[in-house]
Amino acid sequence: MSPTPVSPARSNRGSHCGRIAVIATHAFTQLVRMKVFYFLAVFAVIVIGSNFFDLPQHVGPESAGINVLNSIKNWSIGMMSLFSVVFAIVATALLLPKDVEDRTLYTILAKPVPRIDYLAGKLLGVLLLVFVSLALMDVLMTVVLQIRTSMILSGQMEMAHSRGWPAAEIASLRADILSQGPNASLQGAVWAVFLRASIMASLALLISTFSTSTLFTSITSFLVYFIGYFQADARDVFLESGTAGTGWLARTVSLVVSLVLPDFHLFNVIDAVIQGQAMPLIRLGELTGIGLFYAVFYVLASWFIFAEKEF
Amino acid sequence: MKRWRRPLIVFLAALLAGAVRMPFEAALTGKLRAEGLLPGHLPIGTLDKIGQTGALVALGGLRTLVATFFNLRAYTFFTECRWDDVADTFDVIVELAPQTIYYWETGAAHQAYNASSYYLNDSDLPPLRRDAAWRAAVLKGRAFLERGIRNNPGNPKLNAYLGYLLTDGKKNRAFRDADATYLAAAEAYKIAADSREALPFFRRFQLYALARVAGREAEALALARQLYQASSNRTPTLQCVYFALEVHANPAPIDPEGFALSIFGSPKQAYVTLSNYWVRGGERLPVHGVARALKALETKLAIPADKSVFVQHPIREGEDE
Amino acid sequence: MADATPAVEICGLVKDFKTSFRRQMLRAVAGVSLRIEAGEVYGLIGPNGSGKSTTMKALLGLVAPTAGTCAIFGQDSLRVDSRREVGFLPENPYFYKHLSGAETLRFYGKLCGMRGRVLDDRVSELLALVDLESARDRRLGGYSKGMLQRIGLAQALVQDPRLLILDEPTAGVDPIGSRQIRDLIFKLRERGITVFLCSHLLEQVQEVCDRVGIIFQGKMVKEGRLEELIAIEDQTEIILRDASPDLVAQITALVADSPGAAVVRTGKPRTTLERLFLRETLRDDP
Repeated sequence: MSPTPVSPARSNRGSHCGRIAVIATHAFTQLVRMKVFYFLAVFAVIVIGSNFFDLPQHVGPESAGINVLNSIKNWSIGMMSLFSVVFAIVATALLLPKDVEDRTLYTILAKPVPRIDYLAGKLLGVLLLVFVSLALMDVLMTVVLQIRTSMILSGQMEMAHSRGWPAAEIASLRADILSQGPNASLQGAVWAVFLRASIMASLALLISTFSTSTLFTSITSFLVYFIGYFQADARDVFLESGTAGTGWLARTVSLVVSLVLPDFHLFNVIDAVIQGQAMPLIRLGELTGIGLFYAVFYVLASWFIFAEKEF
Repeated sequence: MKRWRRPLIVFLAALLAGAVRMPFEAALTGKLRAEGLLPGHLPIGTLDKIGQTGALVALGGLRTLVATFFNLRAYTFFTECRWDDVADTFDVIVELAPQTIYYWETGAAHQAYNASSYYLNDSDLPPLRRDAAWRAAVLKGRAFLERGIRNNPGNPKLNAYLGYLLTDGKKNRAFRDADATYLAAAEAYKIAADSREALPFFRRFQLYALARVAGREAEALALARQLYQASSNRTPTLQCVYFALEVHANPAPIDPEGFALSIFGSPKQAYVTLSNYWVRGGERLPVHGVARALKALETKLAIPADKSVFVQHPIREGEDE
Repeated sequence: MADATPAVEICGLVKDFKTSFRRQMLRAVAGVSLRIEAGEVYGLIGPNGSGKSTTMKALLGLVAPTAGTCAIFGQDSLRVDSRREVGFLPENPYFYKHLSGAETLRFYGKLCGMRGRVLDDRVSELLALVDLESARDRRLGGYSKGMLQRIGLAQALVQDPRLLILDEPTAGVDPIGSRQIRDLIFKLRERGITVFLCSHLLEQVQEVCDRVGIIFQGKMVKEGRLEELIAIEDQTEIILRDASPDLVAQITALVADSPGAAVVRTGKPRTTLERLFLRETLRDDP
């Protein structure tokens, strides 16, 4: 008896990457089509674009306008930080509960889709959206910054020439202004913003596998975010074990907090870059490595919990 | 597995993962701090001062944004001449953004120049108090600037600004020990001149400051000779200082007039430059041999006695060598 | 004949749920065993809370059994590979409102590893099968309940599975839609696809299923072929057309003469309300 022919539909096994890509693009489209995303994005664009106009300044004539550039960078990166963290947390927090509530999760898991593919796909969808948004905001910021820098540069050069400054001083002023304008380190700062948001998204994923409520996941994630900044202090408390008067309980709690929660203090490099410091590429690489470590760990931990979850 | 077992395992795994990553993070933190890319912890006092929202944003990693806001607030205080508030606000600002040179410069300027001038001229204080307030403001500005230098060692702008403040003729009398002040100015200018982004005049100003310190004439002369090598350095002031220091070092053999001619080129040029230099007597610049040279030049150029430079700026005691 | 592995084999399935801390465990399924051969249509019926959905979920690996095993075509349900041969339509599915019908099918198809030409053809084929071609580019947000069920069926069939699991496929659907779904199930049976459905709309189960299992309070209380189960053994039915009253009287007399037999009832048989509805709305004879 000849075996029943396997239909072409069934013969294709599919791959992990393929499935993850499908779920990721799907999550991306789902989030983009949510109206709240449009509002947030428009708001961010307005805030960054508004830097095109003047803010009250009180600088002396020689440094007229350099502080504007600082301001622009501050505002834009601040907006990017806020948007990326909020969006990473909230978007991840709502994806899983939404699927469970709509029962679409059943239809997906009833297909030969391993649970890790599902989690990884959802997370990557969120990260893709955060990345695209940050890239757009970065382009906008760089354009505004570039235009402003040119304006200030031409104004200052004119002033310096009209006052007959010697060439060395003019060159120094020019270098000063340009160093505050857009540069590669600033892009590195934006990448650091993205890394931070990625860590928060993967952490929110982990929390959402425990909790069933979007609200609970979001709030807990925000709390962890802030504690993550304090935790560097907690670590110092532990390491300075010679401090008299700190009970063993306090030290243990500090140790636990600093081990378990992510250390966001490292990302304060963003501030330094805004002030004009240059960030070497290798540091950025190390930061990326640490970010990747967190993300992978949290995804694996999420899988561990999610694998056993019953629906 | 019981329901609580998996979360417990995750928790333990997190502890383990934390132990694994901590050395890397600590190492990276160290490297970043060394490169000046990572600010230190914000002291609790600052957190109090910036309020809850500010603390939230600052702790959320955007200290420079909070600094920007406070900068705007400081501007308002400045327009209202509330100098104590300006000072306090700048204290907060530099805690948040210690590497932004602009804030140190502006904060110092507000105290040393704006506030001091206000107290002296515009305030309602009685005369005795005015002077004291003026002095206090100048000293506050200096202290602020020095703090900025401690936070950003080797920064040329801040060091040059300090040198400028310390050698400013109008602010001089705020500082008690003139020699120590000029020495500090010289050192500040030296640091500025040694940096990569040094402007050419930093080195010259280092010389001028050093030349005014009693007992350091030899050192100043060596520097002057070095600077004099390059023709781009031969500004009128430099030429005069060089002249005076050389004369001071070798008083007898040098014929001031001849020497002056070799530096300045023509008798007329010599006279113009040296007399311009002479009238700046209040700045304590070295004037060894200048009076003699001027007198000789006046004779040579047949300048009438009533048009002599010494009419309005007579030779004082000890300046007649 | 295909290989003799049963499509579904559940042995001694037990599932306990924790209700709240320190309370008694709730035993949702207490030792259910059933076996579905390939090509059958099997109906699992029972009241709400009897363990039907839990049994299905255990079969699909959505829930891990406390004891016992579930296998699909010989593969244990806890393995991801066992789901290659299964299509599942959950109860009251929502799907993703922002996708159109075709996009939804493409999504699920890609999840199963299909792509390119094969996928496109399959999507068109399925849309034709469930009669949704006219709505292929409309967002699911604009679909009616019946359309959603049909697209759900299409999604379940996307990778051409040999087993179809349907949880309350006609719940909440109007009679016309119900009928379409039932017709589809017949078509699938003709193709050799095994169907495992559960419902508490008993009339509809009766129309469609070959075998039936009744589950109550987590236990299987009766199981077997439909005709055998519902035949009222000691009664016989004869339906006559255009019979005169004399003929009826004659037959009644004949029965009265037979020892042991009795006439239970004579009169006009009733059509069902459903047939009346369909007749009126579709202009079709039942």
